[in-house]
Amino acid sequence: MMKPSELIDQSTGAQRRKIYSDQGIYEQELERIFGRCWLFLAHESQIPKPGDFFRTYMGEDDVLVIRQDDMSIKAFINSCTHRGNRLVRADRGNARAFACNYHGWAFGLDGSLANVPLEREVYFNEIDKNQFRLVPVDRLSSYKGLIFGCFDKDAPSLEEYLGDMRWYLDAALDAFPDGTELIGATQKVILHTNWKLPVENVCGDGYHLGWSHAGAMKATQSGDLSGFTVGNTGVDLEGGMSVAGLNGNSVLASLDGVSGYAFYPDPALALKYLNENRTKVVARLGKFRGEQIWGSQLNMTVFPSLQFLPGLNWFRVYHPKGPGKIEMWTWAIVEKNMPDELKQQILDNVLLTFGPAGLFDNDDGDNLASCTSQSRGWRTGQMPVYTNMAIGRSGKRVGLPGDIASGIVSEHNQRYFYRRWQEHMEAKTWSEVPQYNLNSLETKDEQRTVQTA
Amino acid sequence: MNSALSKPLEARVMLAVEKHLAVQQQLFYEARILDEERFDEWLSLLTDDIRYRMPVTERRFRKDRSAPLAFGGGYIFDENKVRLGMRIGRLQSGLVWAEDPRNMVRRMINNIEIWQGAEANEAEVYSVVTIHRSRIDGEEKQFVAGRRDIWRETDQGWRLSVREMLLDTAVVLDSNMNTLF
Repeated sequence: MMKPSELIDQSTGAQRRKIYSDQGIYEQELERIFGRCWLFLAHESQIPKPGDFFRTYMGEDDVLVIRQDDMSIKAFINSCTHRGNRLVRADRGNARAFACNYHGWAFGLDGSLANVPLEREVYFNEIDKNQFRLVPVDRLSSYKGLIFGCFDKDAPSLEEYLGDMRWYLDAALDAFPDGTELIGATQKVILHTNWKLPVENVCGDGYHLGWSHAGAMKATQSGDLSGFTVGNTGVDLEGGMSVAGLNGNSVLASLDGVSGYAFYPDPALALKYLNENRTKVVARLGKFRGEQIWGSQLNMTVFPSLQFLPGLNWFRVYHPKGPGKIEMWTWAIVEKNMPDELKQQILDNVLLTFGPAGLFDNDDGDNLASCTSQSRGWRTGQMPVYTNMAIGRSGKRVGLPGDIASGIVSEHNQRYFYRRWQEHMEAKTWSEVPQYNLNSLETKDEQRTVQTA
Repeated sequence: MNSALSKPLEARVMLAVEKHLAVQQQLFYEARILDEERFDEWLSLLTDDIRYRMPVTERRFRKDRSAPLAFGGGYIFDENKVRLGMRIGRLQSGLVWAEDPRNMVRRMINNIEIWQGAEANEAEVYSVVTIHRSRIDGEEKQFVAGRRDIWRETDQGWRLSVREMLLDTAVVLDSNMNTLF
């Protein structure tokens, strides 16, 4: 296996295609990315009542998130501690206990082993039930309603992990005291792609929008988004920015405060909501975020595999299933205090644009699958691919955290994504993973640096 | 079929044989023109008030105790005639690269039941559709869905006014659903 240092060349924006198909690299990702990073598990709004549970994955590990009787949240490996059978097979629901299908061992909401059939007759009451509790996810933490889990006890806190990305996240998650909620069933789609390709597509690739999605844009577009046109014939680089250098987290943002709803065939209700609430949001988030970020088209990425797009309002996580396969899960994210009619319209538009039959989503799947398959050949396996657009053209902006490139077409964020991937893959432990928030909010202006990946 | 869909009629009254056959022919004809991508002709088979819906499916325990989702599970398709026209406009734009070269698509319609509908000029129709798609290189994909339709007899012939579909998977196994059921 090639060393991680040979797989990514930050100076040219090149990646070895092997990273999309090599089994050994994938297994190292399960250890050093998915086994180490904070991973999104569920939104608190999805398990509002005691006994509510939600089944998800961390890497390839099946995980169960459960609301406790005291309203706290616990997460466990969803595997019976006896013979390893998957404990819960439902996607979500409410229960008082979980009985394993195999021999009937039953576990409480708190992971305790509550019942062993024939405990006296066949175990002679000698089993230490405390030893066979469900295995908890090592660390659990929430940020503004989003529940994250982590398998690495040496990882930094979730707050440190998110770093200055929080400043941008808050424009979506904390525009109002009530925050956000996820609505709708979990939309699950299998894609035959390496997991990194959909992440990089969303984290920074504004370039594909006017071309890959030309047909969908033509069908749905009702407003301007950074000057994008069908067929990639025009773009306005001043209308947006690509923000990265925040511990692998990133944002693509248009800066007009309304274009999040540009791909709603009828955005009237959403625009009315933005208009009626703008003053309140400016008071809470400040002028820049309130006027130019809130309501804009935003692509938020929390490394490695959580992405959401306020505006288009989809919220998504990718679960790897080997180097060439993922399960992609999508919900709609809404602000809790939006009127019900708008929430319903947003759920509907998420499904129209990015659901299983979504007009935009249905353009991406085959491209991502083909980029993956074109890394498996004897010759293609030796070849690079590039994210080399506008290298060296990023820098600081007063008052904004991150290393920032103009426009939402730049490949700037992808380079930082692969840089972070490389940093994790090279590090044996968390202590070797560099932490950086370029041009941090705490930095005095004269100290702010131009730094490019 | 599913709590997200309408309640079926209780009555089980057959149509006159000629009408029964006419509706059945219409189902096969509809499948063929969709296979042949004659989308404008397909649109003309729909009433102006067409309701075309397919909910997102989740796997739940039979005795699930949780409250229903506040805004429902959502619909993979929740279309009226304008929205179906929008989807077809996209497919006909010449800009949907996943459909060029075109995929080979064949619909099989089975388990057809045709009953008298709630109105004198309506038929309530159940069927199962299997959509077989031969996609890139050797990839063959299929969708199976149950359908409940309302077909309405008009001066122009039988027209589809309701189609409620249930896709038989909770995890969609193809990277796009650039197709109509």
